[in-house]
Parts: sequence; structure tokens; C-alpha cells
Amino acid sequence: MSGPQIARRALMGTALAAPFIRPAAAQGGDPYVIGTLFPMSGPNGEYGTLFTSGAALAIEHAAQDRMLRRPMRIQAEDTQALPQQGVIGMTKLVNVDKAHYVLVGFTAVSKAVAPVGDRAKTIMVNGGAVGPDLAGLSPYFWNVIPLAHLETQAFLPFLMQRNLKRIALVYVDDPLGDAILGLLRTELPKTGGELAGTFSVPRTAQQFGPVAARVRQVRADAVYVASFGAQQAQIIKGLRDNGIRQPIVGYSALSIASVTALPEAEGVIFTSQKFDYTGGSEITRRFATDFKAKHGSEPGAYNANYYNAVRLFALLAKDLEAQNTEVNGDSLRATLLRVREFDLVGGKGRFDDQGNMSADIQVNEIRGGRVVPIA
Amino acid sequence: MLFLQLLLQGIQTGALYALTAAGFALIFGATRIFHFAHGTSFTLAGYAFLFCWNGGLPGWIGTLAGIAVAMLFGLAMERLVYRPIQRHEGSFFTVFVAAFGVAVVVQNLVGMVAGRGFASVDTRLSLATEVLPDVFLAPIFWIAIAVAVVLFAALSAFLTRTHAGVALRALAQNPDLLRAYGLSSNRLSMLAFAVGSAMAAPAAILTAMTTGLNEAIGHHVMLISMAATIVGGVGSLRGAALAGLMLGVAESVALQFVDTQWAEAVSFLVLFAFIIFRPSGFFGVAQTR
Repeated sequence: MSGPQIARRALMGTALAAPFIRPAAAQGGDPYVIGTLFPMSGPNGEYGTLFTSGAALAIEHAAQDRMLRRPMRIQAEDTQALPQQGVIGMTKLVNVDKAHYVLVGFTAVSKAVAPVGDRAKTIMVNGGAVGPDLAGLSPYFWNVIPLAHLETQAFLPFLMQRNLKRIALVYVDDPLGDAILGLLRTELPKTGGELAGTFSVPRTAQQFGPVAARVRQVRADAVYVASFGAQQAQIIKGLRDNGIRQPIVGYSALSIASVTALPEAEGVIFTSQKFDYTGGSEITRRFATDFKAKHGSEPGAYNANYYNAVRLFALLAKDLEAQNTEVNGDSLRATLLRVREFDLVGGKGRFDDQGNMSADIQVNEIRGGRVVPIA
Repeated sequence: MLFLQLLLQGIQTGALYALTAAGFALIFGATRIFHFAHGTSFTLAGYAFLFCWNGGLPGWIGTLAGIAVAMLFGLAMERLVYRPIQRHEGSFFTVFVAAFGVAVVVQNLVGMVAGRGFASVDTRLSLATEVLPDVFLAPIFWIAIAVAVVLFAALSAFLTRTHAGVALRALAQNPDLLRAYGLSSNRLSMLAFAVGSAMAAPAAILTAMTTGLNEAIGHHVMLISMAATIVGGVGSLRGAALAGLMLGVAESVALQFVDTQWAEAVSFLVLFAFIIFRPSGFFGVAQTR
């Protein structure tokens, strides 16, 4: 092969490569990539929409306030709430999209993706899953939602006050369900209650009439539902349609529209993070007002949690930009541990050494399709 | 009393499984097309009824809409997906992947249009009352039984007493002979898809009232339909219906003996047992090679 031929080919190659070289050089001005690992389809797809709407509003507010030199953009990966899909999504986010910060939800997915994020030193923030073992999963894994043990600690005395001592538990066969089973087994006797019966159901179960028949047999004072997504609504309908008249209780996952809008869910009692949208801080009121204007409904705890997760990133990155420090997992973590307290929706968010935010818990009841705080 | 309660609930669930499985078996038996998107016909019919119900329309209009949507989807699949594939090579795997792909696309479209999450028809028909000590029964139990009996009687009459029905059975047994007699296998194939898909609609409507719907429910329906088709004997409508009923009863009655966790697994244990000990199913014809 002669010299001029090589030169011509090299020139042609360079010319073809030129359009791709320029964006690479301009990487410094590119947006911060906020990865999301939410279920966007399947029976838990409702959560993905809820989580994303909170995160998207925080990005809008950060842009309006010019908090950062670079914009933020969401890079979504659909997990379908399945650990395997979560790991695939997380691998892509850290290796291909070079995500700066990843929002996760669901206990099983969070536990599956944590080692991937830990190796890549990418911060993962959970605002939806409540499995107690999510605390301390990795130095790069933070929680902006109170975990199940905190919800249970606040809830059990309330149940005892109402004389709901014998609890039947219907729980999903999943790390979340197992965690709640473990908590009730150990915590209920301490408060004077007892576990009247436990009924595990697979994630894919659709028929709950026969389960209701078994639940009736144990003559419990209340039925605790520990599942998530569409299945929660199916369980509640299945129990109510098949003769369960006792109070149905549960945890924060019950705050989704498909449960609250269900006629059979009237009177369901559950715990969640405490938010005061009317009398709270300016940040809280702005969030609530803009959310309602955008979506036509009151925000829920999940909307607020993922808003907080993104706002937390904006606050940390702002601090790092001011010091001309690169925004990465280590610098974000160091800043979190240095500052500790942040102005978030709901008030001051305080983080412990493991990156868990503390929050007050409230007890809610579904009344007329709305979530009403009762304690 | 627990056993009686579980048995009654199993019969109700089994009646719905039987209707869906019979539709799938009719299509597969007549056309030999593995219509994986049959669960999607179920989903679409359920949501069509739900839209009409929530829109304040009478139940019979919703029912007709559900049947019409299921039939149209089945016909569209036959004309626009399966027939072009079969014109070229028509391998089982290609047909399966195409149907699976359509099912996933429609699932997401339903989620986008109807919302991602649980949806159910708010009716007192699904509310059970105590009919015997500790035995609860809802009015929908009787409706499910009546619908299943009437539809199977009508389907049997159609397949045995009408020219079209006899031709459909002939299509299943000897398509070449059918063509030699001047009948169109294409038209009969469309008829099989229309009738088979319509069978899923009543089950979908009753499911919307009892357990509720979500956009991904079609996959579960499809699993049960496949299991019932195998247990009943591939190609046997009667077998699929009986197997659907048996699977519903088995997964409910099993709770008398095992933990609630195992209810669904029981259906597949029954399936494995048949595959090992009676591979031809209830009414299938044993074949040797």
C-alpha cells in the first residue's frame, strides 16, 4: 500500500470523526446526569410516574433558581421493580451514561444495584423503598425516606391504643415483605400485641379470595398489608369483598392513587413521612403549589421524597461548584457528611453517618379517596 | 367450612380460567398458531368495559364493547401479524416473538392511556355475604357460573350444528382436505380468531369486577391459558375448559393444605404432573414417534 493512499484514508477518517470529537471536547458543559431506576411499566409502573414527577419538578426549580452552572437532565431506566432489570439499568447508567447521581426505589432493586454503584462510586438515593436493611447498604447509598422500622416504631403504639392487638399479616414474598414480617415478629410482642397469622403471597399473585378465607380463620383485630403497587389494591379489594371487616393497616406504599381511589380502601390506616404543605417552610409551600399547578393534585410523600433527593444533589453540587471541586461520588459524600443539614421539603433534612435522613412519621387514614393525617 | 369456602372460590376462578383457556385452545386447535397475545385480548376487553362503565354507560354496552374490542384485536393479529409471517416462513419461534412483541407494545399503550396501576369496576356484585357459617359468597359467583355454562353450550352448538363450526373443526383436523372442498382456510382462520378472542371478553369483564385489572394482567392470563391447554390436551376445547376449571379449583383448595405462598405454584405442579405422567392431557391424542 502506498503512502498517499494512507494519507487520503487518514484524512477521510479524520473528517468523518470530526463531528464526534467536538462534543467530547465540550463535555465540561454537559448536563449533570441524574439516573433513575424506577418501574416505568408493569404492575408497579404507577410508582415510576410518581417518583419521576417529584424529581422533574426539583430539576425545574433548580433551573429557575440558577442553582448550578450546568443543567441537570434525567436519564431513565425502566426496572419494572425487578432486581435483574435494575442491575442492567444501573450498569448502563454508570458505564454508558456516566450518571452523577442515581435515584432508586424498591427494596429488592435497591439491594441489587447497590454493589454496582458502590464499585463505580456513584451516589444512589432511595426515596421509595423502606426495607430496614437499606440503611448502611453502601457509603454511596443514601435514604431520604424513613425506613420501615421507623414507621413500625411509630405505628405499633397507635394500634395498641386502638386496641388492635392481634394482627394478621399479608405480605409479599420479597425482601420488603420479609423485612416487615421480621419487624412485626420482634416488635409486636414488645408493645403488647401479637401476630395472629402470617400469609405470604407471591409478587405475581392475583387472586386473594382464598387468602381472605384463611385470614378470616385467625380472627385478628386488624390486617396488616405489606406489599406494593397494583397488588396492594388487589389484596385490599380481595379482603373486603370476601368478608374481612376488620381494619386494614399498612405502611407508606399505600399512599398511591390506585389504593386511595379504591372504594374498598375507605378507612385503611397507614403510616408515612410527615409533611405540612400549608404551614411549612417556603420550600415546602413552593413545592406543593407548583406540583398542584402542574399535576392538578396534592403531592404525596413519594413526590416530595424524590424532589428532596434531586434538591439534595443540587445543594451539594452547588457547594462543590463554589469550591471549583469536581462533582463525583466521593466529593458529594464528603459534602453531605460535612454539611449534614439541608433545607428540603418538609423542613430541615438531617443525615446520619450512613446517609439516612431522619423524619417525623404521621398516621393517615383514607377517607373519601383522600389521605387524611389522624395522628 | 374452610374447604367448602375454598372450593366455591376455586369454582368461580376456574370458570373464568376455563373461558379464557377455551378461547386460546380454539384458536390454537384450529389454526396451530401459538397466539401468545391472547392475554392482550383479555386486557383490552377488560379496559374497554371499564371505560364504558366509568363513562356511565349501561353494562350491556360495556360488554358489547369489550367483546368487539377483543374480536377486533384478534382479527388484526391474524391479518396483520400472523398471516404475513406465515406467508414467508411461519416458524413457531417467529410467530411467538411477534405475538410477544405486540403484547408488550399494547401493554405499554394501555398503561399510557388508562394509567399505570390497578383499576377495577366498582360494583356490589363482587361483595360477598355470609351464606353459611363462615362461608361467604358474592352474587358474581352465580354470574360467573352462568356465563361459563351458557357460553360453552353456545360454543358447542356452534361447533357441532353450524356449517362454519363444522368447517372450523375440519380446519383443525385436515386443512388440505378442507381446501379440496373449496373452503377458504383464511376465512376460517379469521373466524377462529374472532370467536376465540371473544371468549376472553366475559372473563375479562368479570375479572375487572372481582380481582381488578392492570396493564400487565395479560401475561398471567396467558400462563394459565397455556397450562390449561396442555393439561386439557392440545387441540381439545373441552379439555382446555375442564383443565381451566380444575386449575382454578386446585390453586384455591390447595390453601387448605399448604401455605398461601404456594397457591399459584399448585397450578404449575399440576401442569408438570400432566407433562410427566399424561403428556397428551385429558382429551389429547397420544402420539408415538
